[in-house]
Amino acid sequence: MINAVLVFNNNGQPRLTKFYTQLDTAVQQRLLSEIFTLVAARPPSSCNFLPLPPLLAPSSRTASTEHNDAPSLVTYRHYATLYFILISTSTESPLALLDLVQVYVEALDRLFENVCELDLIFNFETLHAVLAEMIVGGVVVETGLEKVVEGVRARGRVAKRPVNESRAGLSQGIWAGR
Amino acid sequence: MFEKDIYQLIRGLRAHKGAERDYINQALAECRREVRTTDLDAKATALLKLVYLEMFGHDMSWASFNVLEVMSSAKFNHKRVGYLAAVQSFRPDTEVLMLAENLLKKDLGGADKATIALVLTTIPHVVSPAMANSLLADLLTRLGHSSPAIRKKTIVTLYRLALVYPETLRPAWPKIKEILLDEDEDPSVTAAIVNVVCELGWRRPQDFLPLAPRLFELLTAGGNNWMAIKIIKLFSTLTPLEPRLVKKLLPPLTSIIKTTPAMSLLYECVNGIIQGGIMEAVEGTMEGDEVARLCVNKLRAMLVVEGDPNLRFVALLAFAKITSSHADIVAQHSDVILECIDDPDISVRTRALDLVVGMINANNLQQIVERLLKQLRSAGKAPATADATQDRGIPHGIEPLADDDDEDMQKTIRAKETKSAQAPPLPDDYRTSVIERILEMCSRETYAHMNDFEWYIGVLVELVKQCPASTGSGTFGSHHAGVGKEIPSVADAVGDELLNVAVRVKAVRPEAAAAAQSLLLFDQREQMFPAAGSGGQGVLSAAAFIAGEYATLLPSVEAVLASLVHASSAHLPPQTLASYLQAVPKVFTTMTSDQRTTWTSARRTNTTLLIARVIHFLEPLTLHPSLEVQERAVEYLDLMRLASEAASSQPTSEQSDGYAEPPLLLTQAIPSLFTGMELNPVAAAALRKVPLPADLNLDEPINSNLQTLLQQAEDDASDFASGQADEVSRFYNEKPSAVAVTQHQRPAADSLLDPPSSALATRSSSYQHDAETDPLDRAAAKARQRAERRERYKDDPYYIDPDRDGSGTSTPTALHNILRSANGEELDVDAIPVMELKLDAPPEGERKAGGRAPVAKKKAKRRFEIAGDETLEGGGEDEGAKTTANGGGASVAAAVSRAKKSLLEVDSSGLSALSLSDDASGAASGRNTAASHLDVERRRAEEEEMTRAIKEVERLRLEMQRAQERIQPMGVPEEGTVVRRKKKKVKKGEGLEGDVDEGEGGEVAKRRKKKKKRREGEVGETQQTDEVVVGGEGGEAETPANTKRKKKKRQVTFEEEA
Repeated sequence: MINAVLVFNNNGQPRLTKFYTQLDTAVQQRLLSEIFTLVAARPPSSCNFLPLPPLLAPSSRTASTEHNDAPSLVTYRHYATLYFILISTSTESPLALLDLVQVYVEALDRLFENVCELDLIFNFETLHAVLAEMIVGGVVVETGLEKVVEGVRARGRVAKRPVNESRAGLSQGIWAGR
Repeated sequence: MFEKDIYQLIRGLRAHKGAERDYINQALAECRREVRTTDLDAKATALLKLVYLEMFGHDMSWASFNVLEVMSSAKFNHKRVGYLAAVQSFRPDTEVLMLAENLLKKDLGGADKATIALVLTTIPHVVSPAMANSLLADLLTRLGHSSPAIRKKTIVTLYRLALVYPETLRPAWPKIKEILLDEDEDPSVTAAIVNVVCELGWRRPQDFLPLAPRLFELLTAGGNNWMAIKIIKLFSTLTPLEPRLVKKLLPPLTSIIKTTPAMSLLYECVNGIIQGGIMEAVEGTMEGDEVARLCVNKLRAMLVVEGDPNLRFVALLAFAKITSSHADIVAQHSDVILECIDDPDISVRTRALDLVVGMINANNLQQIVERLLKQLRSAGKAPATADATQDRGIPHGIEPLADDDDEDMQKTIRAKETKSAQAPPLPDDYRTSVIERILEMCSRETYAHMNDFEWYIGVLVELVKQCPASTGSGTFGSHHAGVGKEIPSVADAVGDELLNVAVRVKAVRPEAAAAAQSLLLFDQREQMFPAAGSGGQGVLSAAAFIAGEYATLLPSVEAVLASLVHASSAHLPPQTLASYLQAVPKVFTTMTSDQRTTWTSARRTNTTLLIARVIHFLEPLTLHPSLEVQERAVEYLDLMRLASEAASSQPTSEQSDGYAEPPLLLTQAIPSLFTGMELNPVAAAALRKVPLPADLNLDEPINSNLQTLLQQAEDDASDFASGQADEVSRFYNEKPSAVAVTQHQRPAADSLLDPPSSALATRSSSYQHDAETDPLDRAAAKARQRAERRERYKDDPYYIDPDRDGSGTSTPTALHNILRSANGEELDVDAIPVMELKLDAPPEGERKAGGRAPVAKKKAKRRFEIAGDETLEGGGEDEGAKTTANGGGASVAAAVSRAKKSLLEVDSSGLSALSLSDDASGAASGRNTAASHLDVERRRAEEEEMTRAIKEVERLRLEMQRAQERIQPMGVPEEGTVVRRKKKKVKKGEGLEGDVDEGEGGEVAKRRKKKKKRREGEVGETQQTDEVVVGGEGGEAETPANTKRKKKKRQVTFEEEA
């Protein structure tokens, strides 16, 4: 199963954190920064699989059983300014997870039309909604792009980012005092 | 005043660059206020902002009650925010969770699909066993919902329910199965079920065998690659249970491999064939050979494909799985696998390295090691400063930064994946693992693949230079060394290896000694240990031991001694320093013990100069904080002072015309401390075979009068302190020019000045016994010595006399005697236990036996002879011992892993006890577990009772809560806490008990390992009684006898239990 889904940008700023187990906020932050440290050190030619971060590293090396409840795989994909991370157990297929991230990003792209980091910052609720259509409780429920998009739209209108947001801080005009 | 909405918060954050923290604090304060207003819109907005800030590590658990309020709003937009907040912020200890239960039930039963979906996605994050029990019925009805989206989410939610409350599956599984078998069901629902079944599958594969036909159908129907992958994964756990599946699966799998355009599916097919044991199952048949060839060729293709490191990574993973069963097939592709150890990607390299270790042989070993070495050499180390900046593993939260690169952020993320440009230096842990692998490869099967040990020693020296700067060991925490075990650094491992080669391979000892010298020499230190930290220094302790033990083989003894006693050595870590201290007298001895050359004044000057340098080095160390170092320094310091005395008073050849004997202390006494039996490697299991002596009674006190004696000694001490203070001051202020010499006890050195023959007659010095007296004389001399010693220590409470009866009375001067004997002890070198051992058995015999024993097991490899481990006879027992040891280790490890559950882990072990095969189709598999079934039943009954009770309590609590809410909405009821705690405690108690048991087992196992290694003589062969283990240097004092015996006793009881 999938234990956690994380999205953060090139500076390690989180854009989405979803843990499928209840975890202390401080621990979440630590895990996030550990993974960011790992992922930021990867040269571009590397593969998309990370070694386990120290927090998740098995306490002993005897965990050699084929299957285990413990997370054993950290998969990541890097798109423009964002890293998408999946932490999963051995029941997931590594290559299929990469495709799953692709579906996720494509779904976001459909919803936002040329999605960029700013969209996700302002609409992080939508980010959660899309994920909820694909993964429930750590188990993948949908991998079809159409159905995911359809499911999110059924929940209500997806907001586009505020107009002119690119000049943030200067153009508070119409939004100010709302 | 206007409230901010979420956009304004984010925008504000982005505008307040540099002052984010203040801005956030201000925003949090606002949220706190807003969340308490009665306006639900404001509450929801505030919550959304809090959720956003929570992502950056700002705790919002205090708002859990408000989360609940927003969740219960009638508006979907509010609900959406509320449920999201619940998912993101509720923790196991969130108190309001129980209040949420009814709300969840209500929303689950509602008509709005979106709301139901919200509840379904939330439940997995917040569910507890009690809640699961009460939600179960509501969820089951949702399985029949008209919308497939709801159905599939319900199925997954039920799975998560089952993880905390396995009983869920009893009513749920038949329904889920029905849906799975329904061919008209929506494919996405079927896919969701397959996902769930795949998760459940590996826990109880036998329960899912009846589903095989349907799954097979789904697999061959195709269409959904994700589902196909999951089915294949599931089948790979089923095939070992049902061999007939293999035949059935083979055709579709091969056809998928041949035809599918999806690489992930292809890989999982290959992987499934490997993992499911299908390759073994069909081995030998035409089909089987074809499949094996097909799989391996596909994997090979994945390895060589250009530009996709992911494929290389997973292909290596798959290869790793077949090495144990199909080593030959993997070996055929060693060429491409070897290429991967030079892959630019470290993940790939690590995988390849794992494989390569299993592939080495005598022919390719050197080549592989050279490649790895080149990698280490060329990569350059990560500078320490870079590490510091990159180390973000500190648990302070990430502050949201105002982003300044808006252009970047508007970059569409659909663009091709991009990454930073420059390649970082090798990380330290990779470096460490490469070095470990090299050592593992080279030392495999007692150097079975090693052809050239000279080369190997060169490699080891090279590896020292490549050691990453260590953080763990090599610190000055001498106090910790005794308590918590230091983590051995990789440099220690290199040192051990060097030592191992030096001991086992006689032929290269000179090279090993030279290598040790090159490591030790002070002027080469810069070159040898370029790492900023104390990276490679762990090797020094082994190097010092080699230099000491094989000092005669050192190319330049003088240089080594000079480096050993160099002032900078005193700052080494205590462990290394202790090893240095042991090596110093050994090296010193080789330089000064020459008996044949005459004692010229030049030689005397030389010797005294050397001694002076050693003394100069040792003196400050007598105050070293590490006890081990201190003890050794004190011992050798006094020995050196003696030697100095002897050297200066011995007449030189100039004075006596012609040949002058060098001082006997230098030529005979001190060398005899360090020469003895050859050190041989002893098998780890040999210790366990040493039979316990029949007459060993550990319950009998060694000295029944010990308590009184100690009491008296204490009394004496106080007497002594008051009455004989001057004696104390005299004792401490005695000039260090010579040892304190009392009237009636001449120093041994004096006696050595006399001609040997006369010395023998008057004094008890036995240095010449071996050489000059016949056995009869020797026996007489021994008896005489004993008598003398007994006389001397008559009043010494710490001297345990075998002949003295328990009622030994001590005189008021006991402590005085202790002091005196502490002073005079080294005068009687004979009293040092090492010497005593030699008195009792003829040394010639021992030597021979020691040399002969390993011969039988020596492995001849070209011209190198590698001494195998020495052990006692009885191979079968050895096996048994090994397995018990392993078993113990495994159980300990299991206990550890159980205690330290991985962070994100969702424990599914509860499922393994629950059988799903209650229905007729799968009844057969459940039969044989009837006995355990009863147990399960009983536990279930208990659990049900428990949950019922908890439910009751909770209902009551809820009512009380409601009553309280009317008065004080924010109040957190105290009574509820108590109830919950109770429940938890029961569980924790159980868990703890188990852990403690396991832990004890582990401790005993450890203790067993720690036990000193010994070996006992066997029938027929005259073997030595005590073989000192390499590294465990001789010269042990007798004092720890007490503790050692205690340990033994503990072990005996353990074995009885086992």
